[in-house]
Amino acid sequence: MMGYTESNHLTFKKIFAAYGVYLALLILLIVASFITPDLFDEETLAVLFRQSAQLGIIAIGQTMVMLVAGLDLSVGGVIVMTSMVVAEVSNGRDELIPLSILVALILGALIGLGNGLLITKRKVPPLVATLVMLFLVQGAQQAFTRGVPSGFVPETLGIVNQSWGFLSIPLMVWFALNAVFLVLLRMTPFGRRVYAVGSNADAARLSGLSVHRIKIAVYILASCLAVISGVILTGYVGYVDRFIATGLDLDSVAAAVVGGTAFYGGKGGLLGTIAGVLIIQILSTMVVLLGLDAQTQFIIKGLVILAAVSLYGLAQKQA
Amino acid sequence: MKDDQLILEMNNISKSFSGVKALDDVSIRCKKGSVHALVGENGAGKSTLIKILSGAQRPDKGTICFKGKNYESFSTREALSVGISVIYQELALVSEMSVVENIFLGREIRRTVGIIDSARMRQEANRLLEQMGIKINVNREVGELSVAYQQMVEISKALSRNADLIVMDEPSAILAGHELEQLFRIIQSLKDNGVTIIYISHRLEEVFRIADEVTVLKDGQHVVTRSMEGLSRAELVSAMVGRKLEEVFPQSLNKAGECVLEAHGISTDTILQKVNLKLHRGEIVGLAGMVGSGRTELARALFGADKLTSGEIKLMGERVEFSSPADAIRKKISLVPEDRKQQGLFTALPIKNNITLPILKKVSRWFLLNRKMESSLVESSKKQLSISMASEHLDVQFLSGGNQQKVVLAKWLHTKPEVIIMDEPTRGVDVGAKFEIYQLMRRLTEEGIAILMISSELPEILGLSDRILVMSEGRIVVELEHAEASEEKIIEYATMGESKAA
Repeated sequence: MMGYTESNHLTFKKIFAAYGVYLALLILLIVASFITPDLFDEETLAVLFRQSAQLGIIAIGQTMVMLVAGLDLSVGGVIVMTSMVVAEVSNGRDELIPLSILVALILGALIGLGNGLLITKRKVPPLVATLVMLFLVQGAQQAFTRGVPSGFVPETLGIVNQSWGFLSIPLMVWFALNAVFLVLLRMTPFGRRVYAVGSNADAARLSGLSVHRIKIAVYILASCLAVISGVILTGYVGYVDRFIATGLDLDSVAAAVVGGTAFYGGKGGLLGTIAGVLIIQILSTMVVLLGLDAQTQFIIKGLVILAAVSLYGLAQKQA
Repeated sequence: MKDDQLILEMNNISKSFSGVKALDDVSIRCKKGSVHALVGENGAGKSTLIKILSGAQRPDKGTICFKGKNYESFSTREALSVGISVIYQELALVSEMSVVENIFLGREIRRTVGIIDSARMRQEANRLLEQMGIKINVNREVGELSVAYQQMVEISKALSRNADLIVMDEPSAILAGHELEQLFRIIQSLKDNGVTIIYISHRLEEVFRIADEVTVLKDGQHVVTRSMEGLSRAELVSAMVGRKLEEVFPQSLNKAGECVLEAHGISTDTILQKVNLKLHRGEIVGLAGMVGSGRTELARALFGADKLTSGEIKLMGERVEFSSPADAIRKKISLVPEDRKQQGLFTALPIKNNITLPILKKVSRWFLLNRKMESSLVESSKKQLSISMASEHLDVQFLSGGNQQKVVLAKWLHTKPEVIIMDEPTRGVDVGAKFEIYQLMRRLTEEGIAILMISSELPEILGLSDRILVMSEGRIVVELEHAEASEEKIIEYATMGESKAA
């Protein structure tokens, strides 16, 4: 009986949580059409979408990690690792591209496994565990390359720059991955378990779920997604650079938060994250189009996250 | 009685929590320099009364008169400053700090310029400890001391605040036998110094041992206050339980069948000590005992949630080892946990997701969830358990307590269990839903399921159980047949200290 009376509240909350971010995106686009109409140029859009895809792919992993009440700060390190491995293993030879990607994926999976094991078996807080993993990965890279990355990025990898209008290969990969992971999260037993573990790990264990295994799987998936993002970034840049992934890790957290995924787990999802990614990239682009400096970009990003978090908090209280 | 002057009067105190009366017009009067015991079953209102006295909660009605002054209510700070200290079971000490630092935490003795006067603090601490007749190096870290000594540090802390009234909430629960004697000695010396003690315990021997007066609470109401002189144990027990069976319990019709689950001498590093247990098809076995007696720990051990340190569990005569609840669930055991919101449910997830979580594989085809199958399962649960819900997509948090519990039951019934362990199955459930749950339990046993029911509500234990096991201090102290059991007997065994049980 209680259920009937309170369901109105609930629908409001659910609608806000699920679509509020789309409303924000819409408003942002309307504002942009007035103050930075250049945003809608085909070329600008193409760049915007390519960057969104770059961020969006790792944000998929970050969202899943946050759904199990975790955090992954090592994704940036995995991206850099990927670009180095691709260059090192293939050394510019096209026929070795598949092998080099495979090696990067294996290493990525191992990093994810390390994150997962530290967090579950050793009970290290996710923030600390993934930060430790980031340092380890960075250190290993430096030791291996002695600070000077060697090897060449095969030319064929430049295929990722192919585009038809604003429809580029990275954008298509992002779409495809979103589709796959949306199905995984919403329509498979694994997805249900991810939400259950994030929502109440204690109850999940007492309901017979292998909480550890599920969390570890999520961290492995997040690292593998970072490898995919890394391959695309490497193909785009065409050379190896230690700093190519700077900021991407935190941006992926920001995108998930803006999209409505809760830090405490069990709430949110990919549809919100897609919008979160777009909002962040559109804002960055607008800042550039307006000729503002990079610092302003950070301040705006901070304000947007602040606004999002406080609004979600408000919606939470209403329920 | 050496001094009949009253130090504390709490008059006509009432307190409700969201409509449920925790205290209803309760009065208690304590004489200066006496030990006043406060007893009652779980949920009788003891802790609420103490919380009001300590200022942690405000009464809805009533007045407090302490040392001749009237108060509507206290803040915790006021309570401390007028001389009321409460020593809880969970001691409020900083284990990384020394004994002195703990005693004077927040009230350090300072020299005129504001620098801490360690010498004087040490001196004072030593004096307090001496007064109680104990020797501890006051420079030691509290974390290195045994629990008994930590408790003494707490008492010294209260004395250093010049407490005239010290409330001890189940002080013996954390102490071993010989440490108890020391506590009694300290209490005696406190008494001699004119300090009044309110002593809460459910071990009745202790009450008989040291109390001058006793107040019995039951269901939030005052039953009796009287002097311990001439009071018999039987009188006290009947004052604690004397209530009518209000609920109607469905009759047991079937005979118990073969043995399904057996435990042989199982111990855990929580509290269980060599517990033996047999559960037969078609019976409800009631597990009674006070909070903290090991009932929940036994349930968790049988369900694979806590590791066994010794002993074995047999299922249909075969030895089984559960390394996690998942193993137990696979072997057709279910646990309806005590704390529904923390352990039984995903309150922020929809009803459907809650119900089908343990059987997701069964409702999937080719890795994809089959929504129709899921919905039909949820629909069947809704009918079977008469869960009132607007939609299966509603978050569980919006259901009433009774309906939430039905969701937990529905979740387990879909796993087709043979043994169901229910820890406080009707806690926080309204009367109507309670009766429905009782009927369901009977129906399940008729289908051959074995039920182990933990409950703090004695009428429930007496009304439903075919057999009753009583736990105390991690052991099963007695097994009672339905016919021979009574509230008095259960309380008698449940309040037995280790002295008698051994």
